[in-house]
Amino acid sequence: MRAARTADRLRPRVRLVGGALLVGTGLGLLGGGAVAALLSVRVVRTVFAVGALALGFGLLGWSGSIMAGRGIETMHRYMDTGSNWTEASSRRAMARVGAAGAGVMLGSGLVDAVLLG
Amino acid sequence: MVSKRFVLKRLLLLVPVLFGVATFVFAILQLAPGDPARVIVGQRASADQVAQVRSELGLDDPILVQYGRFLVDAVQFDFGDSYQISKGTPVREVLADRLPVTIELALYGQAIGILLGVPLGVLSAVKQDTLTDHATRIGALTGLSVPIYWSGPLLILLFATYLGLFPTSGRIGSTTFLPDHWTLLGVELPLTGMVTVDTLLLGDLGAWFSAVHHLFLPAVTIGVYSMALISRMMRSSMLEVVRQDYMRTARAKGQGAKITVMKHGFRNALIPVVTVIGIQFGSLLGGAVLTETVFGIGGIGTMLVAAIGATDYPLVQGAVLTFALLFTLVNLGVDITYSYLDPRIQQ
Repeated sequence: MRAARTADRLRPRVRLVGGALLVGTGLGLLGGGAVAALLSVRVVRTVFAVGALALGFGLLGWSGSIMAGRGIETMHRYMDTGSNWTEASSRRAMARVGAAGAGVMLGSGLVDAVLLG
Repeated sequence: MVSKRFVLKRLLLLVPVLFGVATFVFAILQLAPGDPARVIVGQRASADQVAQVRSELGLDDPILVQYGRFLVDAVQFDFGDSYQISKGTPVREVLADRLPVTIELALYGQAIGILLGVPLGVLSAVKQDTLTDHATRIGALTGLSVPIYWSGPLLILLFATYLGLFPTSGRIGSTTFLPDHWTLLGVELPLTGMVTVDTLLLGDLGAWFSAVHHLFLPAVTIGVYSMALISRMMRSSMLEVVRQDYMRTARAKGQGAKITVMKHGFRNALIPVVTVIGIQFGSLLGGAVLTETVFGIGGIGTMLVAAIGATDYPLVQGAVLTFALLFTLVNLGVDITYSYLDPRIQQ
């Protein structure tokens, strides 16, 4: 019963992160491959760095939302800066950005490893 | 009482934060122009020398390998040696030397922000729509709007150049020299690196006064923004609390206005303010970079600016990760304080 409840709770999260990771990996493989073929193998590292930037940003945003989200919501409320920003929506968006970034890193990293040895 | 589970959950959150910052820094430095190998050997070095250094640094390895190696080193807080600013010195040592300076400045700034911001916010709320309230609100708005790189030089111009009340730069008088250790019961102990603490440990009150005198303007510069934000938050929060039924009940039972505000209102109004204190510690650290540069204080901020200019990547990585670690630890402390003030949050 408890396991089923946990699985129910985890399923949408895994779907969200997994989907973004897959999209990112596809983008990394395609983008990395295209860049390597058209420009230079070394430029693939720029694609990897862009992916790392997205992963870093996503991770920071995700954990920042958990750590300070409540404070930011409170601040918006008390400073009269009307906003629809919520901790939960920020967390979901950042998880998606981070997972896509990780995918791009994985895809372009594979291209780099295969082409540069 | 703060539950262990709550603290453990907050501690675990440090992992993704630091992992995210490390990844971010790695990405930024990969995207930055310039070749670290060229920076180390100099512009006149031959292509062979550059290639040799590239190979020694592992810059020819696949990017995934470089990233993995960087993460392993970052976990051990090992960023190698400085390329340019303190050539050949391990980054860890450079940071250990500079960190107390920045922490001292940020702490004094935070102290000024809290000590002035909280009473001003309470006063503004209690005297709502009076001259005091308007003056405090205008002051807070000005404090929030004025950037440090402008207010710093302005304070120097007024209090140091025209009035001659404070020194323009430095941490302590040029004739004061501090030893590198202090003695307690015959045992030699290292100093903290924070001049106001060290001078007290050494029992040198003249030097302590000089240190406080030097630190005053930078701390005010950095503390004004913090004070402005805290006072605005405190005012809004207090205004909400004073309208609560329990406040009216306390007054109806004959309790004096001041006692009601301080006993029943203050602690409840403080809850949202505490969270903001943690969040704005990040701006305080960012402000420290500017303040240190304006006042010529040799902390991590000045070093970071110099390291970026000199493409000293290991120092930049170390400094950014140190700032991230400080920020997350302060927020952890704030969370624990918050859960003490409002135990419901642990649920």
